[in-house]
Amino acid sequence: MSDRLDDLERRIDELRAGVRKAMRVRDGATARVLRAELRSAERAWDALVSGEQPRAKEEPQAPRAGQVTVREQVHQGLRLLGAAAQPRLIVAVSDAFFGGTIRSSRLTSLRRDEERSFRSSPFGRPYYLCAALTDRLSPARGLLTLSTWPLERRVVGPLSPRVDFLTCAIAIAEQESQDERAVRLLVRMARNIPGATDGSLGPPDPARVVEAARAELRVHAERDTRDRAELAQRAVAQLGDAARLFGAATLSTIKKEKAE
Amino acid sequence: MSGLKREGDHVHRLEALRGITPQQPHDARAIAALAANPGCTRRALMDGAGIDKDAAARHLGFPAPFGQSPFAITRGNMFEALVKADGCAELLRMLRELLGLPVAEVSYHDVENVGAHLRHAHTRALIDRAAREGQDAGTLYDHPLLSLDIAGHTAYLEPDVVAFQLGGRFHIVEIKSFAVIDGQADPSAVAAAARQAAVYVLALRNLLEELGHDPLKVSHDVVLVCPENFANRPVATLVDVRKQLAVLRRQLTRMTTLDRLLEELPDDLSFDLRPDEDGRPTRPVAELADALRRTTARYAPDCLSACDLCFFCRDEARQEGASDLLGRQVRDELGGVASVAEALGLADGTRDPAEGQEEIARLLRNAERLRRECLN
Amino acid sequence: MSLLTSLARLRALDEGIAQPIATVRHFHLSQRPMVFIPLKLSGEAAAPLAAMLGSDRERPHLFVVTQPRNRDLRFAWTAEVAGVLLPYIESFTNDTETVERRNADPYERALDAPQIIVPNQAGVAFTRLLGRSTRFRSTEGPYPVPESVPLLGRWLTYFAERAAYPGSSLMPAATEELGRHWASGQSGLEDANLAALLGWITTGPSDEAEDPLIWPPAGPATDPGFDAEVLAPAIESESAERITEALRTQLEPTWRLMWQAIDLLAALPEGASVAQRWEQDRGSFSGMAVHISEGAPPQARRDGAVAAAAKLARMERAQAAYDVQRAYDDPLVMAEYRLTGEAFAGEVVETVPDNTEGEGRSRKLRPLVVIKTDDPVLLPPGTSLGTPQRRGQGAELVEAGQGLVTLKITKGMGRGKTPAPGAVPEIGERVCYTSLTDDFQGSPALPEAEATPWTHGGPPQEYVPDDEDAQEEWS
Repeated sequence: MSDRLDDLERRIDELRAGVRKAMRVRDGATARVLRAELRSAERAWDALVSGEQPRAKEEPQAPRAGQVTVREQVHQGLRLLGAAAQPRLIVAVSDAFFGGTIRSSRLTSLRRDEERSFRSSPFGRPYYLCAALTDRLSPARGLLTLSTWPLERRVVGPLSPRVDFLTCAIAIAEQESQDERAVRLLVRMARNIPGATDGSLGPPDPARVVEAARAELRVHAERDTRDRAELAQRAVAQLGDAARLFGAATLSTIKKEKAE
Repeated sequence: MSGLKREGDHVHRLEALRGITPQQPHDARAIAALAANPGCTRRALMDGAGIDKDAAARHLGFPAPFGQSPFAITRGNMFEALVKADGCAELLRMLRELLGLPVAEVSYHDVENVGAHLRHAHTRALIDRAAREGQDAGTLYDHPLLSLDIAGHTAYLEPDVVAFQLGGRFHIVEIKSFAVIDGQADPSAVAAAARQAAVYVLALRNLLEELGHDPLKVSHDVVLVCPENFANRPVATLVDVRKQLAVLRRQLTRMTTLDRLLEELPDDLSFDLRPDEDGRPTRPVAELADALRRTTARYAPDCLSACDLCFFCRDEARQEGASDLLGRQVRDELGGVASVAEALGLADGTRDPAEGQEEIARLLRNAERLRRECLN
Repeated sequence: MSLLTSLARLRALDEGIAQPIATVRHFHLSQRPMVFIPLKLSGEAAAPLAAMLGSDRERPHLFVVTQPRNRDLRFAWTAEVAGVLLPYIESFTNDTETVERRNADPYERALDAPQIIVPNQAGVAFTRLLGRSTRFRSTEGPYPVPESVPLLGRWLTYFAERAAYPGSSLMPAATEELGRHWASGQSGLEDANLAALLGWITTGPSDEAEDPLIWPPAGPATDPGFDAEVLAPAIESESAERITEALRTQLEPTWRLMWQAIDLLAALPEGASVAQRWEQDRGSFSGMAVHISEGAPPQARRDGAVAAAAKLARMERAQAAYDVQRAYDDPLVMAEYRLTGEAFAGEVVETVPDNTEGEGRSRKLRPLVVIKTDDPVLLPPGTSLGTPQRRGQGAELVEAGQGLVTLKITKGMGRGKTPAPGAVPEIGERVCYTSLTDDFQGSPALPEAEATPWTHGGPPQEYVPDDEDAQEEWS
């Protein structure tokens, strides 16, 4: 066996050098071929060392009964937060409060899948995970919302990112969870809200976080509410059902504005 | 009128130098690097013509010795995402602590929400509004796109964030993932960040000037955001980039004097890589190398960390036996004796000093005598 | 760099091989050095990736963090490194000698001290960061670490600080020491590449030295190509063996180079003052060992104002002493001062051994010596002189010109009416005199720490590491 290992190691070394040489001269095609060979050699080596048979790449598994889908986990997270949020925050919330298992990388294709599903059979599902809308009514980058929310909650004016952050912080603090992951999440949010911590290292007092976040919210509320109402009105007037949920394509929005 | 025509000629000449090779856009790092070796004609011409020096170096068989580790890239992206997460919550905290940003100032504009081709126009419009309206305009501008004219063509630049409403002035925010440990960071990393930020400050000042505003509304203090100690927690520091700005301006002025360099070039000179359909250069290597050698490079060991062509130029310096190879200190010590053979000839006494070389020749002869005495 | 070194670099470039710029070795080389080659994860401040270390060139230890972003594994790695370094360090604390001091209690000084050799300056800097990131860790509480981790952190901090002390040999960097003894035909910047520098010294330059596929970088940064093509997929595979083997390929070549460097340096005879500086190293090491055994707190994050000023003054004195000692130990270093007119050498052509000054009881022996030299002497009459040939003596320049220098010996002649045999150089002897002397001004008068003026922050609070230090976030 060790002979075969030696051979494999030699082969792996050769392939590595080959790949890197190809990369240096930007010969992508050769690099890819060599890299594929390298991967299979490495798999064979792994298998030989650990005494396992090389196995095929794992297929993504379909959800079994009783298992919560990624889609549902995101839904849970957003419902708890009650405001537009970035995938990483949703993942952290799902992890801290629902024992979630999502990875942010799996959220990237989610919105596209939802849009596809909506277009093929509109309102066929009780809820959709959808976009937040910018002041140009285009989908805001990296923000998720729920179709069941009023439009005012799904649009983002200039102050909305801050308002949403404070809203999310309040929602998390109000859970009053003792779970270590929840506390860590609250610590991280609280340190960015003036007056939310007493400056010590210990876990922040949730009531204090809520109070501080509400105090700052009062500063922004009036203007943000006005901005959002105005945006929501424009969305209703200008967008069809699908675009209202998933945002208008940027160019078409502009054309529409020009036509007016 | 004739000035305009001349300028047109030079743009034309630069295009001819480039041939059918697509123009390589400059980023802030490249512009900052321009300032590192202003005396290098070869570099000035290649950058002026917008030639991809990295591609040229690979084609010549002298690929540059630097690359970025995927770990470093991932780490940089992760840290930037963290600083900007949740409506720039971390950044707002730091600006409040560091610069006393009022609590009401939280307005956030993501310039990237418009299509890529509109980003620059949108940035202009937002900055113009902020400079005009003051109070009610935005606070944070994420993913802005600025521009700077480099030797007759426009380079587009992407600072991390532009912050406004800190005493009515714009601040460039630069997010870097090198750590600040006990209040200290790697000086070379800080210096590089400062040079890069200075490019953004200059571009933003030019923009304000074009729009008819006071360019000094852009602060020369940039906000440098780095992770503190060994955690991911970001910390902000103000860095004064006045010095870097002055150097940069001076070099860019020199770059605009490209016309003089162009006038001296032979008419048939071309840096064209003649890329095929896949973008792979097809020009015979010897021919390209020959074309490059017809322009003067000023190689210094510092090039090894800054210029894609460094190995090509080092090889050339070796073949010429240039004392530049040994670094600035040696060159300064030799006081203008440019070649290794010349210096050694003076030291051995086999060569007579030219006018003005008497003193260095005497020193070299003495040094040679002492080395022989001690080593034999 | 001096013109002499520049000339050596030119010669090296011309001849294709490095040229000596020292005739003796200017640092102490241990009989049992510990070679330490750390690697870190790119993009992180102090995330260790691997280290190859050991004092036996045939049997290096290799420790790897198989999941570099996992803090528990990082501290487990530190504990593994401590398992080799701490026993090595502690093995030097037992054998001591008693040193008597004037106006102070005698103290115990180790007869020998540890020496940890790293590849380059960046290795020293990373050692300092490793020390900083581990010395405050707590062995209890929320994120407990093994006891050896904070202890190693304090030692690493000590060694890295000592490396900045001129003339210390406790933590030398291979490229620095090689570069102090040989001039290559490349720039100082390129000398930081261990493989390239050793190439110049042994076989001449080769492009292979800069090819990371043949000679991986000596750390702590890894080759970006290796990161992308080998390490990243290995980490993704989660196979500890694959990661370990991948990193072994990056460390083993440097391991061999390190011992090659040690052999080259060991072949040089040791300079006369090296033992004296090593004695200081031994004293400093013993002091640190006592400090730790007495349970003193870890080194502060930052020095107070007085401590910082005192340290700076100490370092400046050490630098001056180191420069002078090297010149006295090594004619090739002294030659730099002869070139600038601060020293001269030549043959004794005339002496007046029984020349005296003063009358009666204050009559003193002041022998005169005339030296013929080819060196340009730029020293004015009255300059105090020392000489490597008779280190106890002092002299004074009387006059210089036309290639002749007259000096009188003013110190170290004793009380006799005639000089002791050999005290005055003979005619025909080759001698060297210099204005460089090893007696320096005493320490600057600095206030006690308690009396730090308010302009400098007032008296520093005694450093007590708090919970914040121990619980410092780590990602």
